[in-house]
Amino acid sequence: MSTLEIKDLHVTIEGKEILKGVNLTMKTGEIHAIMGPNGTGKSTLSESIMGNPAYKITQGDVLLDGESLLDKPVDERARLGLFLAMQYPAEIPGVTNAEFIRGAINARRPKEDPISIRKFLKELSKIMNFLDMTDEMAERYLNEGFSGGEKKRNEILQMMMIKPKFAILDEIDSGLDIDALKVVSKGVNEMRGSEFSALIITHYQRLLNYIVPDVVHVMMGGKIVKTGGPELAKKLEDEGYAGLRDELGLDIKLTDENA
Amino acid sequence: MSEMTTEKFETYAKNAGEPRWFTEKRSAAFDKAKELPMPSFQKIKYHRWPIQLEKELVFSKSELDENEKSVIDDSENLLIEFGQSTDTIKISEELKEKGVIVADLKAALTEHRDLFERYYMQKAVKVDENRLTAQHAAKVTSGALIYIPKNTIIEKPITTYFIQDATKAEDYVHHVLLIADSCSEVSYLENLLTVGNNETTANIIVEVIARPGSHVKFASFDRLGENTTTYLNRRGYLEQDAKIDWSMGMMNDGNIVGDFDSDLIGNGSHAEVKVVAITTGKQVQGIDTRVTNYGKHSIGHILQHGVILAKSSLIFNGIGHIIHGAKGADAQQESRVLMLSTKARGDANPILLIDDNDVSAGHAASVGRVNEEQLYYLMSRGLPKKLAERLVIRGFLGPVLTAVPSISVRKRLSDMIEEKLIDGQENE
Repeated sequence: MSTLEIKDLHVTIEGKEILKGVNLTMKTGEIHAIMGPNGTGKSTLSESIMGNPAYKITQGDVLLDGESLLDKPVDERARLGLFLAMQYPAEIPGVTNAEFIRGAINARRPKEDPISIRKFLKELSKIMNFLDMTDEMAERYLNEGFSGGEKKRNEILQMMMIKPKFAILDEIDSGLDIDALKVVSKGVNEMRGSEFSALIITHYQRLLNYIVPDVVHVMMGGKIVKTGGPELAKKLEDEGYAGLRDELGLDIKLTDENA
Repeated sequence: MSEMTTEKFETYAKNAGEPRWFTEKRSAAFDKAKELPMPSFQKIKYHRWPIQLEKELVFSKSELDENEKSVIDDSENLLIEFGQSTDTIKISEELKEKGVIVADLKAALTEHRDLFERYYMQKAVKVDENRLTAQHAAKVTSGALIYIPKNTIIEKPITTYFIQDATKAEDYVHHVLLIADSCSEVSYLENLLTVGNNETTANIIVEVIARPGSHVKFASFDRLGENTTTYLNRRGYLEQDAKIDWSMGMMNDGNIVGDFDSDLIGNGSHAEVKVVAITTGKQVQGIDTRVTNYGKHSIGHILQHGVILAKSSLIFNGIGHIIHGAKGADAQQESRVLMLSTKARGDANPILLIDDNDVSAGHAASVGRVNEEQLYYLMSRGLPKKLAERLVIRGFLGPVLTAVPSISVRKRLSDMIEEKLIDGQENE
């Protein structure tokens, strides 16, 4: 079993404090969801855990099995078992999807023992089939010209091929139609097990009908303000973020709140 | 000319078995060189480099050992030269029967004098063009003549390896004359390499004469050594409806001026110039690529992309010159430079000179840094930074590579790019 621990995390971007002391502990085998209104720091949290150099951590720590990740670059964190399905995956012309994924797998293996191409292609084809992706997607350049839905599926494909210990899914549901949403959920559910944990970041409860979380956190104003079970998500859907805020007596302005 | 020099030239001629007429050409060029100016290229400041040929002309022999030969891919039509010596010449029976000539400099001067003399520094590059071309004519010590007869289509490429011998402290002065006669077609692959580490000067001129209706696919893989300072001049002379596809990989490790021109003399002639350059360490690669449209409806396209690592510099000049009277001519160019370090220096400099109205011309140029978002994305999947950088670079160079007509050349180029990048990253 592995543990990912976020302790009193403070993060600033361009001098502005976005995260104001986030605490969160996840163990493999658990699915967590973070819900929260727009502009509350959900993406900042995911990028900071992954190690995006654009985000500056001013206080606190991120620990994997007790070891701090803060001085490790993003590629090392990835090889230690972290994965971030990005909201806006970059397009890389000239590099095919298949060779990229194979490179990512081989980066985790000893140099003298790369995965056999045959075995790799078999696995790739199996998972693409599972995610309703056409074979030609393997030979297309990485995310280049992919539709929004194709990009999200491709993130899940990478996750399933790489098999991380901790996967953070940053608004994987945004811009997806219901069919794509089901496919993406199917992928995450397939990964469920004692060696896998996911942190699902979302604005909407809808996704959590398909991926039922063990733990739900609500984030507002750069902090986690409430933690509970799946019923918390349902409650939010009914009462809205403003309702919860008022119930908790928090003094936070919601950016998408009508004045 | 001093008697000293005359004597040296004669001693050389005797040792090399060179005919009198060529030695006379040398002497004349030697005298002329002193009066001629150095060539000038915008933004390429090379005048302080040891680029002039100042060493005495000396005949020498070089021999490749097995280890050095291991880099050579065998092929049916192959010419290997090391320093001033010829290691291998072979062409298929079929090409022999068709009258194809692949000869080294000595054989060109003695056995193919008429042909060689008619074109050698007559049409494409002139002896008195500048001081470096004249010095070249005075000091040339190795080279090749390749001739494709009329209407001859060659399926298998002709491959050459020209290996500078820098185990000796001598200048490397090399001349290639490739003549594709009317309506012929040929693929030519040229490899420039260096063995040895001496501080040396190289002066290399390649003339491609594309006779009417001919088509030359020219590919070069240049990897001259770190301590070699080079003037590399490749020039195409295109007659009516002739076409040259240039695909050049500038992977040299030392300072170099690349002077690449295509003279579109004939109506309907067409040059496609593709250049990929990787610059590493502290080197400077200055690349001046020009197309000059003289002929009506002639087409000259330049596409050059380069990557700069460490403290090195890369300059791309792209020059499209349309001469008055070249109605319907087309000159297009694109030069892009990607810098990987803050200490790298890059320049992409487009120049259009247009002396006629009824033409089309355009240019694009950019100098940029590696896209941080792409790098982060690749690394977030566990790829180490250097590998991620190489993948981003591959994407950047993609548009040039995919435009290279031959699949095998494309493969060779991308392998070379990878090799040079890995070496360059190691030294950062």
